[in-house]
Amino acid sequence: MADSAHPPILVVDDNPDNAHIIRDYLEARGFPITVAYNGDDALKAFEEVKPSLVLLDVMMPGRDGWQVCREMKQHPTLGRGVRVVMVTALDDWVNKRQALQTGADDFVEKPFELSKLASTVERNVKLLSTNAAAGGSPATSR
Amino acid sequence: MDYHQLLRDSLTRLPTVAATIDSIRKAVQDRGEVVILYFNFDRYSKVEEVYGWEKLDSVLETTGEAMREFLTKSPLGSSKLMVAFPNDDDFIFFHVPKDDTPAATDTEITELTAGLKEAVSSQIERVHGEDIASLFDIFVGRSLVIYNPKLRLERQIYRGIREAANASKSLEHREQAKKVGDLRETLRSRGLYIEYHPIVITDSLKVFGYEALARGSLRSMRSPEVMFEIAAQSDLIWDLSRLCRDRAIEGMTKLLKDGELLFMNVDPADFADPSFDVNALNVKDPTRVVIEITERTAIKDYPKFRGRLKEFRDKGYRFAVDDAGSGYAGLGSIANLEPDFIKLDMSLINCIDQNFIKQNLVETMVRFANEHGAMVIAEGVERKEEFEMVKSLGVHLVQGFFVHKPSSNAVTYRPPIQPAPALAEGAK
Repeated sequence: MADSAHPPILVVDDNPDNAHIIRDYLEARGFPITVAYNGDDALKAFEEVKPSLVLLDVMMPGRDGWQVCREMKQHPTLGRGVRVVMVTALDDWVNKRQALQTGADDFVEKPFELSKLASTVERNVKLLSTNAAAGGSPATSR
Repeated sequence: MDYHQLLRDSLTRLPTVAATIDSIRKAVQDRGEVVILYFNFDRYSKVEEVYGWEKLDSVLETTGEAMREFLTKSPLGSSKLMVAFPNDDDFIFFHVPKDDTPAATDTEITELTAGLKEAVSSQIERVHGEDIASLFDIFVGRSLVIYNPKLRLERQIYRGIREAANASKSLEHREQAKKVGDLRETLRSRGLYIEYHPIVITDSLKVFGYEALARGSLRSMRSPEVMFEIAAQSDLIWDLSRLCRDRAIEGMTKLLKDGELLFMNVDPADFADPSFDVNALNVKDPTRVVIEITERTAIKDYPKFRGRLKEFRDKGYRFAVDDAGSGYAGLGSIANLEPDFIKLDMSLINCIDQNFIKQNLVETMVRFANEHGAMVIAEGVERKEEFEMVKSLGVHLVQGFFVHKPSSNAVTYRPPIQPAPALAEGAK
């Protein structure tokens, strides 16, 4: 059962091995996890599960992570409440700028260590609960 | 996107045209006419370009809210406010007077239009500040649709909307021509004043320098973005730049204390102006002048441009790259200009406390600056949380409404400029 310390997370990765490692690791820490293996399924799951956090792989066939992130963040009802963490091997300035343009909130470099992933998830969950306590994220961010 | 989301705009919670026509059908048939107003928000696209799509979303929310609030207070019968399309930035208003009231007169419609424009402008200024409010204009086009039972109502209305949209465009063009006249008058009368926006040292909050912000004395010329846009369209950019520079330097002599620097915006295109000569500037001590060059404008001829920079640098002028990080150019192009200061793009500072990617980029920029002997300036710092975050990331200098507002009368409100109470507390 989701609680504010363990909100629902959607993991999106076209590589099932990667997706399952992340799922198992985060499930063991008490987070309810849903997995999607491509962009279209991710958007469907996004509307069904209404996750608070999305871990989103960038390089996927078809709709890539940038596109999926933009659609999630611009979603008319769910876009404001979700935080998106891009998971990618591309770590230069230009890619981080691109991540910002799509509305992403955080970034994990691939290959990642699980402990790094956990700290990234935790700092985003912490912000979610701080914002919830303050009645929403700052108005100027929108 | 769901079907119902195409019928109602999620930002403004207003219906779209398609969803509105049916609800107004009977009223139009009964009264035999409908007045259509088309609200064209000129330069909303500029807001999006400068601040990002999230900001325009927020401005549109405020716009919809202000219009709805105004209309709730006005007894307007079966009138409807709507958007053309979901997430678009134009608004449409159908006005059908009540059965027991006469048809709307020109005066009524003019008053209604003026009231709506005022409501939106003042609300946007209150919520988003003067910089954004002075950036855009509202042009309202109008058309009258007389109901004809021989024609399908939807098509009559769509034609009416197009007519009103064209009318708003014509107004925009007329206004544009008037603004060119206002700009010429500004240049002729030197009708321009400078506001000085303090840049402070992050750790001590002491004033380090001032950025000169040019404002036209005429209301239509208040926004520098508008002035420069009109100047670019009418080939007057060098004349305007010259006037801005002269005014900024005049003020520097009168208002700035010894040691304080003047940050002056210069467009890369100004370096092609033969009169922008290092010896022609009336600056006593060039080491106190920082020339800000925006990263937004593409530099066409890099070697030549660097040559011009060197002339100024040799005299002692210093350089800042403005809006750094606004594009995809990366750190290489910044390094090419060998800046003394790197002014971070405002979009990187807005809600930086909420975004770990922004924090990472700013940290990278600070490291880069430290390695290259430059200082990083965070502009657009509006909240305590933003100030604290940039401070913790090692940003050297800060500028923004949270610390100080710009003023044309720097001398009377200094020294020292009192920090906002929240800041004073946070800085202890």
